Amino acid sequence: MRNLIAFFRRFRVFLIFVLLQLIALTSYFSVVSYPRTKFFNSANNVTGTLLSWEREVTKYLFLDRENRKLQAENAELSKKELINYIPVDPKTTIINDTIRELMIEKIPATVINSSYSHKNNYFTINAGRLKGVERKMGVVSSEGVVGIVYDVSEHYAVVQSILTSTINISAYVGESNAYGLIKYTENDPRRVTLTGVSNDIKIKKHSKVFTSGKGGYFPHGSVIGKVEKLNPIEGEPRWDIIVRLEQDMRRLHYVYVIKNFLKPELEELEKNVDQLE
Amino acid sequence: MNNLLIHIIRLIVFVLAQGLIFGQLEFGAGIHPMIYPLFILLLPFDISPILLMVMAFITGISVDFFMNTFGLHASAAVLVAYIRPELFRLFAPRDGYDVLKEPTAPEYGYKWFLSVAGIAITIHHAWFFLLEHFNWSDWFIILRKTVLSVIVTMFILLIIQILFFKKPKTI
Repeated sequence: MRNLIAFFRRFRVFLIFVLLQLIALTSYFSVVSYPRTKFFNSANNVTGTLLSWEREVTKYLFLDRENRKLQAENAELSKKELINYIPVDPKTTIINDTIRELMIEKIPATVINSSYSHKNNYFTINAGRLKGVERKMGVVSSEGVVGIVYDVSEHYAVVQSILTSTINISAYVGESNAYGLIKYTENDPRRVTLTGVSNDIKIKKHSKVFTSGKGGYFPHGSVIGKVEKLNPIEGEPRWDIIVRLEQDMRRLHYVYVIKNFLKPELEELEKNVDQLE
Repeated sequence: MNNLLIHIIRLIVFVLAQGLIFGQLEFGAGIHPMIYPLFILLLPFDISPILLMVMAFITGISVDFFMNTFGLHASAAVLVAYIRPELFRLFAPRDGYDVLKEPTAPEYGYKWFLSVAGIAITIHHAWFFLLEHFNWSDWFIILRKTVLSVIVTMFILLIIQILFFKKPKTI
């Protein structure tokens, strides 16, 4: 027993070092398997508030560009408004359409903290549980898909950016309908990789890549980016398709969180099918 | 007691500077300067190694809260604290350290500071980027990020030393 105590006394510095490393590294490496740890992130109130203050100061630097983007988006939306259409046939009546049902609501939010130069990137937004944000909701900007909500607190949420190696968003190439998974492997914040597409499918450069809507994170057909390059994988009949993102992740300031009203139904239905997971 | 207060204020200043300024600056090319290891190097000479590591851990997780890195900074900071006593011994001046003085560049010379901080920062950054990628096939990216970030960080640390740490006037 005395020997044991003597051993601990002798190596106590090293043992404390190992202990602290274990705490830090367990937290870091268990991030992939979510529920165990969610301590060290900025969805808590102190850092969230400080980061919001910082944003209050710096937001004026990019107002101009963001305004132009919003203006373009408004112009696009106003095209779809009923008041802008002239009735072609004066005898038509308005039909209250019950075939369509509201499926998606967008919650607007502002990015208060972001990174894009790491291997796995996360960003924090200023909308949380009180605004109806929940885990695993999709996040888009006005230009394209940007991530999936990872963790939520009362007023803030941490979003797993599309620049994360474990993001695995299901996507397809527009013209050839080839399905695959989006991964971040390039270490270049403008490009992601679409993996798993068989190389007997012809794929044109510059064709658009959309989300498939699997899992209910994003509606079917949200824009992700454009095909830039096809890399054959050695020894496998597959392409690695390099996709250039529509949204420049380095200039991400305003986003929308997608609330899908039909997602519980979808999950309930797919729960019993093993192959889908 | 007065000293303790100075170190607590320094801890807050370094964490805020890292979280709100240097962590938000994006230089491109994977450059990610991390200045908070300087706080660990600046703690007094006679601090016990265990307290040193605990302080480093607190600094690290505070930065983790800002940067969404889930413990990565804490791990790298604890490593710096663990090697600090050995590193100081290695570069000790001929007549040893004066425990009343602070381990800064104006006190012990820029050559001493550049060697100690250079080695500590290089180990810190290499450890950080190795764990971040955790993949040998990324070795070139890890190397490039480490080298470029160390250069930028050392530059910032030198400026901090020149601006904020004056040699106290001797009577």
